[in-house]
Amino acid sequence: MIEVRGLQADYHVLRHGARSIKEYLLSFGGKGLLERKRIIEQVDLDIAAGECFGIVGRNGSGKSTLLRVLAGIVEPTAGSVTVRGRVAPMLALGVGLEPELNGLENARLCAALMGGDRNATHRTVDHVRHFAGLSDDDLRMPVKRYSTGMMARLGFAIATTDDPEVLLIDEVLAVGDAGFQLKCYERIDELKRKGGTIVFVSHALGEVQRICDRAGCMEAGRLVKVGSTHEVGVFYHGLLGIPVEG
Amino acid sequence: MSAPAVHAPPGRRIAWPLVLQVAWKNVRLRYKSSLLGFVWTFLNPVIYLAIFLFIFSRAFEQVANYPVFALSGLILWTFFATTSAHVLGALVENAHVLRSLAVPPLVFPLAQLFAGLINLLFSLLPFALLLAAFGWRPQPVHLLALPTLLLFAVFVFGLSLALSTLNVYFRDIGLLWNALLPALFYITPIAYPPDLVPADLRWVAGLDPLYWYIGLFRTIVVDGGWPDAGSMVLVTALSAASLALGMVVYGSLRRGLIANY
Repeated sequence: MIEVRGLQADYHVLRHGARSIKEYLLSFGGKGLLERKRIIEQVDLDIAAGECFGIVGRNGSGKSTLLRVLAGIVEPTAGSVTVRGRVAPMLALGVGLEPELNGLENARLCAALMGGDRNATHRTVDHVRHFAGLSDDDLRMPVKRYSTGMMARLGFAIATTDDPEVLLIDEVLAVGDAGFQLKCYERIDELKRKGGTIVFVSHALGEVQRICDRAGCMEAGRLVKVGSTHEVGVFYHGLLGIPVEG
Repeated sequence: MSAPAVHAPPGRRIAWPLVLQVAWKNVRLRYKSSLLGFVWTFLNPVIYLAIFLFIFSRAFEQVANYPVFALSGLILWTFFATTSAHVLGALVENAHVLRSLAVPPLVFPLAQLFAGLINLLFSLLPFALLLAAFGWRPQPVHLLALPTLLLFAVFVFGLSLALSTLNVYFRDIGLLWNALLPALFYITPIAYPPDLVPADLRWVAGLDPLYWYIGLFRTIVVDGGWPDAGSMVLVTALSAASLALGMVVYGSLRRGLIANY
């Protein structure tokens, strides 16, 4: 379950010019080097348990940042964010994978990076063995020799261990082959049936309409439209100036 | 498993088991594709020592046991040069992870520090054997070398954390550090005895923090003497100041890391 109220999130970006560096040093780091840039403005959103919510929007509209706030990577500047349940962020598949380590070693490392304890690590390794669809030989090979699709399989298997209650997906499913994608959709359906909440960010309206129950459209940091995937699809196309068929 | 949890803001709590796990990974990866592997931690200073002996053994005849003198300096220098460089790169190199997972950024610089310490600890035994080959004999007072190394590690970490944070914003920091390291190597009395510095320039040599740590380390390890209270206090203060610097720089710029990796 996800509850967002009056959310506002800023990025602190570098202010250019030597003067700001001097100010920073003279104020002992108190001020001067960074300035705020509003990324997300006044977002209210409720996503129920067992729901799959899609977010569409142009590049730079704040989709990924919203996902990062939900994942606990970016702190809100104002407003409140409540995420109940174990969160599995999949903002990029294969993130944290170390090229020199093999698949199983990477499963252990990633489980720890995602906040798992020793038991969670064992379960992740088990899950990767059974779900990733990679042979034992593959799993004992350094990840640097993996294809993009194999990386995606490994990353997806690691992220979906332990039936996460909240799954955050940032357009990552496109990389695998058709078989892998089908497996992902099945796994997402399974998680939904078990009462999991899924937030899915994508440019591809087709994917959103395929797996999501509801959707929202972001524009310039605001959630400007929430509704059925069809309504939001029509709205988004209108925003982009693409004529809508039917 | 399904206990309701409202997640806490990131970047606050450090999971120490995670730090150690990443540190161990760093130790393993550092020499993964090299034939001699971990031996390099030990071999690197030994090559320097061989060069020193070849060039300087006649020049510094006033030093009682030049190999032991030089090697003791090189142990600290190697730790300083490698650990500072690795901590410096830690935030930028893990940007992809920090952008995608709710890991406190501090985990990665800390993991590089611990990787450096693990390497140092492993290399102490072969170093002790090598020192013994040059006539050095262990004494109880040498145990004081361990707290000295820990204080030195705190110093290296504080300074490198500040550099690591600034390096996210200005990549020049890393390049500048690479250029400064050799200069620091020559300024610091590692290959030559500190009393070779002319008396009227001693104060300049004293501005280099490494001068004090290496001096203290040699008092204990080479001379087998008890350090005087003054240099203990000074070195402790330097470590505290360095750690404070690192924490202030990191603390004041932490919120901007995500947008600037």
